[in-house]
Amino acid sequence: MKHILQVLKFEFFGCVKTKSFIISTLVFILLIVLMTFLPGLMVSIMDSEKSGGGGEDKPIIAVIDNAYNKGDIVKKTFEAAYQNFEIKLDAKDKDELVENVNSSRYRFGVIINDQLSFTYITKNNTLTNTDTQNIGALLRDIYRTVKLEEQGVSPEKTAEILSAQIKSETITTGTDQTKNFWSAYLLMMLLYMAIIMYGQMVSQSVVSEKNSRAMEMLITCAKPSHLMFGKVFGSGLAGLTQLVLITSTALVSMKTVSTDVLPDTIRDFLNFRPETIGFALLFFLLGYFIYSFLMGALASLASRSEDLNTLTSPVMFFIVIAFMIVVFAINSGTLDGTLMTVCSYIPFTAPIAMFARVALSDVPTWEILLSVGVQLVSVYLLGMLAAAIYRVGVLLYGKTPKPGEIIKLLIEQHRTNKMFKAAKKK
Amino acid sequence: MDLELEIKSLCKSFGEKEVLKNISFTAQGGSALGLLGRNGAGKTTTIRIIMGVFFADSGEVLMDGKPVDRRKIRIGYMPEERGLYPKKQIAEQLVYLAVLRGMTKNDAKKACDRWLERMGMSEYKNKKLETLSKGNQQKIQLAATLMCDPQIVILDEPFSGLDPVNAMILKDVIKEMIAGGSVVLFSSHQMNYIEEFCDNIAILNGGKIVLSGKINDIKRGYPRDRIAVSSADAEKIVPFIIRKMSGDIISAVSDEQDRNTVFVRLKDPAFKGRLLSELSEQRFDIDSFRVCEPSMSDIFVEYTEAGV
Repeated sequence: MKHILQVLKFEFFGCVKTKSFIISTLVFILLIVLMTFLPGLMVSIMDSEKSGGGGEDKPIIAVIDNAYNKGDIVKKTFEAAYQNFEIKLDAKDKDELVENVNSSRYRFGVIINDQLSFTYITKNNTLTNTDTQNIGALLRDIYRTVKLEEQGVSPEKTAEILSAQIKSETITTGTDQTKNFWSAYLLMMLLYMAIIMYGQMVSQSVVSEKNSRAMEMLITCAKPSHLMFGKVFGSGLAGLTQLVLITSTALVSMKTVSTDVLPDTIRDFLNFRPETIGFALLFFLLGYFIYSFLMGALASLASRSEDLNTLTSPVMFFIVIAFMIVVFAINSGTLDGTLMTVCSYIPFTAPIAMFARVALSDVPTWEILLSVGVQLVSVYLLGMLAAAIYRVGVLLYGKTPKPGEIIKLLIEQHRTNKMFKAAKKK
Repeated sequence: MDLELEIKSLCKSFGEKEVLKNISFTAQGGSALGLLGRNGAGKTTTIRIIMGVFFADSGEVLMDGKPVDRRKIRIGYMPEERGLYPKKQIAEQLVYLAVLRGMTKNDAKKACDRWLERMGMSEYKNKKLETLSKGNQQKIQLAATLMCDPQIVILDEPFSGLDPVNAMILKDVIKEMIAGGSVVLFSSHQMNYIEEFCDNIAILNGGKIVLSGKINDIKRGYPRDRIAVSSADAEKIVPFIIRKMSGDIISAVSDEQDRNTVFVRLKDPAFKGRLLSELSEQRFDIDSFRVCEPSMSDIFVEYTEAGV
């Protein structure tokens, strides 16, 4: 136990002190902080520019009204919609408009051809440009205002009627995907990446110990199983630390920043629910242990890092499949379908599958408990198996053994250990 | 009281392959035992059983007559394949290994400083191991082996790759360990080092001990019938001996490399005195007259030639 703790400490600090750990953690944290604070910052900068500019530098929108001849209504309606722009109505003709738009004096130009049609003149059009829709809506408003005015309704009354708002409320009895879909999706990606990354880190570290023959020294200082458990726990703790740092940064910065300046997309991504984070961390640990025990044990059979890929690719295959199944289920809305339910109880797919279901669907508590239970038992069994393989593997050099040979070695070792223990009892 | 490490009838097989067949030998504290054998003879397996990495199928490792308790007995092992972390700082990994061996962190740090100082490596304390030359890495490895102040020291090819100055430092350290009463097991293919350090040897061949005991006794056990005569008159001595003592000798030849040495092989070691008196009567200019003992290399080759 003491040895496990010592190895754990060494591996943990060895990992968190590496440049790659520090940099990747910082990049994530910085990204989250930027994403949450930058929009607010930009809004406030823009605000200060606006107030400082005194309105003279406002970009210009030029409108030629050939239909209504009601300058004030047109101007008012446009101004209400484009508050940060100056609306000019004195442009002469289309040619002048085109010229000024082309020389960027005007942001864009609008020619109202008749009451229900207009021409939009812009220098560069973009995919996300919504001006035509906006102007269309404005024109409709103007049309309605003018027509209603002809019927004797005052412009104020018209404005009131046109701007009537409808309030709505949704009551969700299960899990509301609209609010946490993207954040849960992001967490699932993180979970998947972290399991792969830290699993691979364990296997890399094992094979490098073997390759550098540091194992020759280590093996004389501590039991192989202690070395393995210490390593797996240490790296896992490092992974957990990184995830906690990242998710808590998101939690804190989302709390700090006022949500109304934040664009919806960012809020959707980062608005983690604390309980979802809790589940993510739990399933990270379970998935990490399941995979890293396997990866570590397999890595112990390799003598060089070149052999590592061949050995661990079947395991990687499992986790990629699990991920693909889950992504497919989320996209097709079959999170609680048979496939996903089965996957929630298969140890290799359960960490990701069950997490996705817990985060995005409404799973009964007993199902969660059962899945976690299955995974805990698998962690235990895989840990024992990994320790046995590790004991055989660490001193094996040369050709990577075939599965049959590994089983033979395991059985033989079990036999000698038994004999040794029996002899000791005597 | 001096320590005594006894290896008693160890047997070990890996699968079908019998690697150790009834290995026994004894090593005393305050002296070094040379564990010799060709590649694949079973040395490393024996060492690993002593270290507790493998269990023997049968047989025991005894310390002062009792089964060795590896939690109480400190063992330092320097593997032939040097093994440390190339990408980690030197002090960091030395302390780590010492702590794993049961030292407290503070003691380990102190021992680390002391040993780096002793090896003249203090300035590299915070460097990564891979930045050091091979010889310096070797010294770090020795520091790692000896840091826990071991009662049993196992050194596998400690001198390979060292320059003469570093080899000297290493020799001093090893002699110190021997003088301090530790049991030193020394495995090497460089026989001159074996002769320099070891009082006893055990030669393994094909998983069996083919020879063990005190080097002096072993050498004395050979028939002392080969005489080397060093003389400026070597050219005259050869025909003289052949003429004068033809009945008592098997051969008399001058050395191919050194023209001043004559090798004489007697029919009986007892004729040594007669040879000496005949030579001195003739008033040859003799520099030395000695019995040729077999070198460690000769002995090693003789016992392991049969192959593995």
